[in-house]
Amino acid sequence: MTFLQLKDVSFTYPNGFQAVQHINMQFDLGESVAIIGQNGAGKTTTVKLMNALLKPTSGEVLINGENTSKFTTAQVSKKVGYVFQNPDDQIFHSDIYSEIAFGPKNQKLSASEVKEKALHAAELCGLTKWLEEHPYNLPYAMRKFITIAAVIAMDTDIIILDEPTAGQDRHATKLLVDLINHLTAQGKTVITITHDMEFVANHFNRVIVMAEKQVLRDANAREVFWDHELLGKSHLKQPYISQLAYSLNLNEPIITLDEMVSAIKRRINS
Amino acid sequence: MTNAIQKLYPSTKMSIVLAVILFTLMMPGYISQYSVFPIFIIIAFISGVGTKFLSAFIKSIFVLVLFIFVFQCFLIPSDTVIWSKGILTLYKEGLEASLLMTSKIIAISSSLIWFFLVTPIKDMMFALEKAGFSKKFTFVIYSTIQLIPQMKKLSQTILEAQKSRGIETEGSLMIRLKAFLPMLGPLVLSSIQQTEEKVLALEARAFSATVRKSSYYQMSKKPVDYLVISVIFIGFMIFVWWRFFK
Amino acid sequence: MSMITMKNVYYQYPLEKEQVLKNINLSIEKGKVYGLVGHNDAGKTTLCNVIRGFIPSFYRGKLTGEIELDGKTIQEYSMGDLATRIGYSFQNPFTQISGVKETVFEEIAYGLENLGTAPEVIGEKVRELIAMFKLDALQEKNPFELSGGQKQRVALAAIIALDPEVIVIDEPTSQLDPQGTEEIFKIIDLMKKKGKTIILVEHKIDLIAAYVDEVIVMSQGEIKMIGKTSEVFTNKEVLTYGGQLPQVALLSLALQNAGITMPTIPITLVEAQQAIEKILSREV
Repeated sequence: MTFLQLKDVSFTYPNGFQAVQHINMQFDLGESVAIIGQNGAGKTTTVKLMNALLKPTSGEVLINGENTSKFTTAQVSKKVGYVFQNPDDQIFHSDIYSEIAFGPKNQKLSASEVKEKALHAAELCGLTKWLEEHPYNLPYAMRKFITIAAVIAMDTDIIILDEPTAGQDRHATKLLVDLINHLTAQGKTVITITHDMEFVANHFNRVIVMAEKQVLRDANAREVFWDHELLGKSHLKQPYISQLAYSLNLNEPIITLDEMVSAIKRRINS
Repeated sequence: MTNAIQKLYPSTKMSIVLAVILFTLMMPGYISQYSVFPIFIIIAFISGVGTKFLSAFIKSIFVLVLFIFVFQCFLIPSDTVIWSKGILTLYKEGLEASLLMTSKIIAISSSLIWFFLVTPIKDMMFALEKAGFSKKFTFVIYSTIQLIPQMKKLSQTILEAQKSRGIETEGSLMIRLKAFLPMLGPLVLSSIQQTEEKVLALEARAFSATVRKSSYYQMSKKPVDYLVISVIFIGFMIFVWWRFFK
Repeated sequence: MSMITMKNVYYQYPLEKEQVLKNINLSIEKGKVYGLVGHNDAGKTTLCNVIRGFIPSFYRGKLTGEIELDGKTIQEYSMGDLATRIGYSFQNPFTQISGVKETVFEEIAYGLENLGTAPEVIGEKVRELIAMFKLDALQEKNPFELSGGQKQRVALAAIIALDPEVIVIDEPTSQLDPQGTEEIFKIIDLMKKKGKTIILVEHKIDLIAAYVDEVIVMSQGEIKMIGKTSEVFTNKEVLTYGGQLPQVALLSLALQNAGITMPTIPITLVEAQQAIEKILSREV
């Protein structure tokens, strides 16, 4: 059943800059979706429309069938959590625990519930060791995880991650993958904006490609990464493994390392 | 920026402001000071910043002047009562004091508001550097001026982040006040954090180089600047002669 | 010829218990591009700060060991001197804008103004950089209105404007899309051709493999591996230090596990293509 829907949504900023045009998207619960596209394609604007930080200039955004235009962002924030691109815009407590506990506290939960949710979120984000630390004592890449934990603690149905992979190492990326899998297994929908094509190819089934303020394609990763016309139009690239498969003329729409290994094996054995 | 007045060299415009300040302080009474205001409205419109001038004036100085009037006239008791009704009493000394004070404030502030509206910051900095002020001095001024729109933008982003965390920011004054407090934290923290990194970023741009800074942007005094300065100087001298020696 | 040498360098931030740099010994050769890789918090940025002299002139703490730039100890250079010798582009795009310029053009010109360069020369240089960095459409924009990735590009251009011999670039592409990333790497390549010495901190291993000459692997404050890109990235020891290998090297390791051995471990797409073609044709 559709939980979140954008129906023919356009948005123009007050200064006259039109950021997105005629966007149509829908999301069920328990989905994991990647949004990819060039800088300036309208990705961030689109997700801000989802949590009602922005209200459509035309068209409508529906959550559980209800139009978000009737609600404030704070009200919508109970359903849709959004992790900002720059963690420093979001952090405002002097210790990591309070930062994470702020969301559930605001939802007027009991003290024990707040604690439980905050600690659980901190654990998922690998922050248990640093709960007492000042957020700014952790490096930029890890501050991002503080803000992710802060949103997870709010226990929303939808979680939006804006470029969580930027500047992350292998270990942190792995943590992120586990996190997304855990959340979707709990029936939550995770929408991730990213520039990392390997990350998308390996971990996402559904991919939405945006270019020049519009949705160009909403399909599975394989279809997206083997549509050269689409990639050209959106100025995106195939993952390295797909590029290799392409230059080897394997004639198989390979997107992961494992697929490549078995393709080569098959060829050798045949 | 096609307006001839806006194109004047910053120190030319500053000399007008200085002349107004000295005139205001040297003239007795308040009528001539008050008349400076309508003159600057006219000058502002000729300079192409009329509406901006009026709006800036009403938002800042007008409120201050009103406050001074109420405070001085009604709240500071003195001997002569001009008018009285219920708990409100208007005192003569208070009225006179506020007329004297506000007339000067209005005259000086209208010249200053006009100056800042018609002088691009870029020009001001260029003139200051040219006049021999140090790079550090102009940097502090410039970055402080730029800080206001930056802080505005930063607070906008933080406000968005707060809303997304469930803080209600729309609605009654009480709700908005409540939303304001948690915003101060990241605004200050972010600013401090950024200052440290910014110092390094500036260092990377050779801010510590000991040579004299140059400027890609250039402007110079034109004949019209010398003409304006001369007129102001002569006018002011005549005023001083008339006021003190005649 | 060695441009930068570090001998037994240790560093500890003020108020911290542990050393963030331990026993750093390093020789950076003139004209080469170095990729500095490692897990988050491995000490990469700290090492860059030491090389640039921000440690100890800005960050206090305890620094020991010898650091030489072009045959002289780093302390012998004044801060202004260092700015023109070692360019530094920072990781966080949001704090790199000077805050005193109203257009991208002027922002790039700012460093040159600080050096007292003549206006005509500034104009010429900045125009050249704007073309090189493809910033034409942005040059009249206020730097503050740019996106993170655009700011990053402007900041790098502003550093290159000073024409330093060494350029330290800390994660220039973390905010960029694939195309923007590739453009940055092309600029790095161009700088290399101009004979610049470059130290690049970057997580995008596949691009590092394609563009840099030498790789330095850091972990927990120490340099664990250092050597030619083709040597380091064919060694799976990198993985034990929390680092990453190029996709094609990972592929060859996976093939090895499946009983298929490549003659040499590839690190770039072209090498991988050739190696796999060989395997396939030999077996068929």
